[in-house]
Amino acid sequence: MSEKFHRKLSDLKEEVMEMGELASGMLSDSITALKNQDIELADSVISKKNKLAEMDEDIEEKALTFIALYQPMARDMRTIGCILKIITYLARIGRYGKDIAMTVKELAGEKHIGKLVEIPYMAEKAEEMIRDALRAFENETAIDAEAFISRDDELDSLRYSIFRECLTYMMEDPQKITRCSHYIMIARYLERCGDHACKMAEKINYMVTGKRMEIK
Amino acid sequence: MKSLEYAIETRRLNISYGDNRVIKDVDMKIPKKTVFALMGPSGCGKSTMLRAFNRILELNKDAKVSGEIRLFGENIYAPGVDPTEVRKETGMVFQYPNPFPHLTVFENVAIGLKLNKLVKSRDELEDRIHWALEKAALLDEVRDRLKNYPSELSGGQKQRLVIARALAMKPKILLMDEPTANIDPIGTRKIEELLFELKKDYTIVLVTHSPPQAARVSDHVGFLYLGDLIEVGKTGKIFESPGSELTEKYLTGELI
Repeated sequence: MSEKFHRKLSDLKEEVMEMGELASGMLSDSITALKNQDIELADSVISKKNKLAEMDEDIEEKALTFIALYQPMARDMRTIGCILKIITYLARIGRYGKDIAMTVKELAGEKHIGKLVEIPYMAEKAEEMIRDALRAFENETAIDAEAFISRDDELDSLRYSIFRECLTYMMEDPQKITRCSHYIMIARYLERCGDHACKMAEKINYMVTGKRMEIK
Repeated sequence: MKSLEYAIETRRLNISYGDNRVIKDVDMKIPKKTVFALMGPSGCGKSTMLRAFNRILELNKDAKVSGEIRLFGENIYAPGVDPTEVRKETGMVFQYPNPFPHLTVFENVAIGLKLNKLVKSRDELEDRIHWALEKAALLDEVRDRLKNYPSELSGGQKQRLVIARALAMKPKILLMDEPTANIDPIGTRKIEELLFELKKDYTIVLVTHSPPQAARVSDHVGFLYLGDLIEVGKTGKIFESPGSELTEKYLTGELI
């Protein structure tokens, strides 16, 4: 494959990294907005959803053009396949950030319950997984599947623990049902973000090694 | 024991020109009724290997073959094997379409049959020629031009005429050495489509320096590099996730 192709592929990878920063930034900002009940920051997250969708479309189009023009093979093809998949995961992660930001606006003006249960901690864990997956993509290094699986298991446990805790609050006081239902939803979004990070890790490992492995 | 599964098998195949070893200890199996592509950079030995499969390589006095090549289980380099018989079983198509310019379309396809006295009557000859032209997807285009000369055909049509000439001899294997290298894209497409049809009845070995073509038309691929068979496998697997770093480098253009 020509040098021109590899240069362009490298530029496209840069764009994926930018999209990754945008998506993970939306997620972490939404949690900050939730913690601080910062409506302005929540609005800023919501306003980024169009940019995220544009990047998703733009990168997809460029990747498809690459296939049409250069008929890449082997690792080059796996890289493009990986890009096409991970932009979808990133778009979803960013949209979960937007969904959390919408919740921030709905819950504005009401005090948090139980210090937001374990949501900030859980978010931190999900963000780390996304960050590590993106770093592996950038450096083209394989991800330790076992370690990733146990991190995902931890997220699942956290979601369940938040669910149980919220149930207790709701049983104690029906006034808390609305807020706690939102918390349960947010925990579910964060768990899904972890799942997307795992799928990204699978695709990145395939890109790097040519071998399929399941991470879930 | 005869192998029924493979059309061609090589065992510790070595080929050299003088002191220069160009094929090194190659063990390879080509399944029946499939398209097998041999790919690799220029000078890797793929055409040499193809020419060894029908023993036209020995027309070059410098070439020396050792090891075994088995066609349908029979070692074609065993003592006493008549190379002419081997060549009847293996039709060959070259890079440049080479119909006989002084013979008509009809005569081009008929020549092998006549020389080998393989048909008994004019009717049988005509039937066989129509059959071969149809198999080569050329009959509809030349039906009214059987008495014309090949110079009036396009490059792609000439190449299909050569394929018809090979098919008329009813070979079991078709060896193709970069058959579309000098054909325009439309002609190339027709020949590639033809391969899909032909593999129902024949085993096709295609030498190509174009990985995209190998990817499009073959079922299995062998990658040769400097005389070594680096990797053999199913086409989809090789082009998506080859087992060898060298194949990966070749397919991504890092190997010149």
